[in-house]
Amino acid sequence: MTLGTFIIKNALRNKRRATLSILSVAVSLFLLVLLLVALREITLPVEGAGAELRVAVRNKISIANLLPAKQLPIIQKIPGVAAVTPFTWFGGKYKGEQATFAQFAIDPKAMRGVFTELKMDPESYAAFENERDACIIGKITADKYKLKVGDKITLESTIYPATMDFKIVGIYAGTPDDRNMLFRQDYLNEAGGLDGQVGMWWLKVDSAKDMPRVIQAIDKAFENTSAEVRAESERAFQLSFISMWGNIKLLVGLICTAVIFTLLLVSASTMSMAVRERFRELAILKAIGFRRRELFAFILAESFGLAAAGAFIGVGGAYVLFTYGPIGKITFGYFPSFEVTSRIIGFSALIAALLGIVASIMPSIAVAKMSVTEGLKTLD
Amino acid sequence: MLIPIFIVIGLCFLAFISYILWLVWAALTSPIPLPYNFKSVFVRWRSTAATIFGIALVVTVFILLNAMAAGLEKSSANTGDPRNVMIVRKGSTAESSSVITLEQFKLIRYLPQIARDDKGNPIISADLAVIISLPRRDGTGEANVTMRGVTPMGKALRPQVKLVSGRWFVPGKREAVISVKMARRFAETDIGQKFKTGGKELTVVGWFDAGDSAFDSEMWMDADEARSIFDRENYSSLLARLADTNDIASFTNRLETEKRMALRADFETKYYMEQTSTAGPIKFLGWFLAVAMSIGAVFAAMNTMYAAIGARTREIGTLRVLGFRRRVILASFNLEGAILSGIGGAIGCALALLTQWFCTAFNVHFGTLSFNTFSEVIFQFRITPALLVEGMIFAVVVGIVGSFFPAIRAARLPVIAALKAV
Repeated sequence: MTLGTFIIKNALRNKRRATLSILSVAVSLFLLVLLLVALREITLPVEGAGAELRVAVRNKISIANLLPAKQLPIIQKIPGVAAVTPFTWFGGKYKGEQATFAQFAIDPKAMRGVFTELKMDPESYAAFENERDACIIGKITADKYKLKVGDKITLESTIYPATMDFKIVGIYAGTPDDRNMLFRQDYLNEAGGLDGQVGMWWLKVDSAKDMPRVIQAIDKAFENTSAEVRAESERAFQLSFISMWGNIKLLVGLICTAVIFTLLLVSASTMSMAVRERFRELAILKAIGFRRRELFAFILAESFGLAAAGAFIGVGGAYVLFTYGPIGKITFGYFPSFEVTSRIIGFSALIAALLGIVASIMPSIAVAKMSVTEGLKTLD
Repeated sequence: MLIPIFIVIGLCFLAFISYILWLVWAALTSPIPLPYNFKSVFVRWRSTAATIFGIALVVTVFILLNAMAAGLEKSSANTGDPRNVMIVRKGSTAESSSVITLEQFKLIRYLPQIARDDKGNPIISADLAVIISLPRRDGTGEANVTMRGVTPMGKALRPQVKLVSGRWFVPGKREAVISVKMARRFAETDIGQKFKTGGKELTVVGWFDAGDSAFDSEMWMDADEARSIFDRENYSSLLARLADTNDIASFTNRLETEKRMALRADFETKYYMEQTSTAGPIKFLGWFLAVAMSIGAVFAAMNTMYAAIGARTREIGTLRVLGFRRRVILASFNLEGAILSGIGGAIGCALALLTQWFCTAFNVHFGTLSFNTFSEVIFQFRITPALLVEGMIFAVVVGIVGSFFPAIRAARLPVIAALKAV
């Protein structure tokens, strides 16, 4: 019998306990991965291709304030600007409930130049440009509500006094979050009494090196007007939303810590249980000449092995479920994607390794302290 | 497809409830006294302590997350005067997206249901709510804040708001007051400091406290001045006092039937009570985490109880020899698991209460984006007695489920072999 098989046989001798320990570690690590991914998803916005060339322009007072439509020609004239579209939040209710997808009024022609990663067939683009009440929806939303091209939908805005009927002319994909519904700004103006106002401007610059200059030029163009603006890169704009989440990040972080702590505690206690159960055996091993550090190695290897098995099931299970599972459905549409990054896997594995080490400390001390006679006498 | 599943779930639930009832009955009539189990929990304290503490943390997380949700709901539900009616545009979910025109205000102003003050003026205020973006004090970025443009009458209609430091704003001097809780979170809001919004510079002249109501998440200035700075022709909402609250039906009827109005009127308290959508996801997270963590805790409790039974094999054999029945042993060990987790639950409740006490004593408030106002909402933990009870139930269920199989094992130990065990 080699040392390796000795350790494995020992670990699996009480199969029920080994299974329960592994499962409790697995559940905790699964939760840990889940929380870490959720935290990352809410604090790190998804970015589509072309984001590095996009600029968002909002009212300087706050994003909830509108901008005058007459700003458009001024922005278009700024050198380096390739395309500009209005981008107006509609805040619609669908079938009497707050819709789970966002709706924005845009300019269908300019949109093609700004959101280049959005993919749709040419007929849909043509119809979108020609029909006033046309709208396009993301694939996720289309699947969720079982909507197809040609269907009509009605949305009631919570922002404007308008209830509007739309005809779906296209279903798009290719953006990082294919959920939005896009329709025409001119249709909103007509139905919502939005006399010459838009929510935001989104624009695309010709090259990344133009970006700082364009941003500065836009800010400057409307300085000291009745609608001062804040232009920022798409990334900076998305990051500004994270600041709005306030202390939620901290609180979720604290919960993560509590979960990790619970996990350490419970697994450590299980390990000590396993060792205490065979105090007599360890005493015999000591009596027949095994040295302390060899005993330590036994304990550490067993504890480490159990933690590793738990990590394999918990982290691996989370990875498989979140990567290949229907994540939109599981999270009720709160999260479009749920990416388990290698950093999260690494961190969880590190926690598992730490757990294996910490759990073996207490029993090791006990074994080190015990005298052989005492150990042989234990009945527990 | 679904109906059989419901039947199975229902039957399981029924079985569980009847089992619990049987356990309670057994606890009351058991020939094995409960203190025996109670002491047994502590005999092997080293292995049980971790499990107890693990369950305690599950309960703490559950209670605190739900206390956050309760705090968020309370911060809104605590708002308003029962005699006031709030009028907003029909279909708008936030005050900031509601629009009341001057014409509408004029029409509503002299409706007979509205109370008059001693000078005979109707007690009604047309306010403006604008969302402005302000930098955070800790430099982590900007967040939205609700700026309320309020008339002197509007101030009188909201007696919850009390000045704690500095003075009230003077109309026309570009001054503003801010909730003291918001001032702790946002830069440039100390008394005397200036900040820029809408292209104009405003001076903070006072801090107020709104007694944990929704106004604690606001900044106030003069209504007409706000309309000019933010370039708004219209108002956002009307707040009126009814002469007789029984008139609410005729009042709302009057507003809602008139076509040119398209307004919605309701008691102010009710309006704020309904603004609870921010708490939903947090509640969901609380329940989800508690259920998921308690699965882990069940495994831990099982481990502990199996170990406890393994160590007491001879004791159990002795009990059987003395004439205790199998089901008595089953109940006894299952109750021991419940006691174990009950202690954990109690510690969990204590930890949660301690956290709440700490936050209250040191004035720790939290803030996040409200889905109702689209601006920062301030809240605190709010542990209700119901939450503590739910936490305890959670813990005890974990204990009973976790000790069920170990208890069955204990009950089925063969007597002779058990007595021979070392």
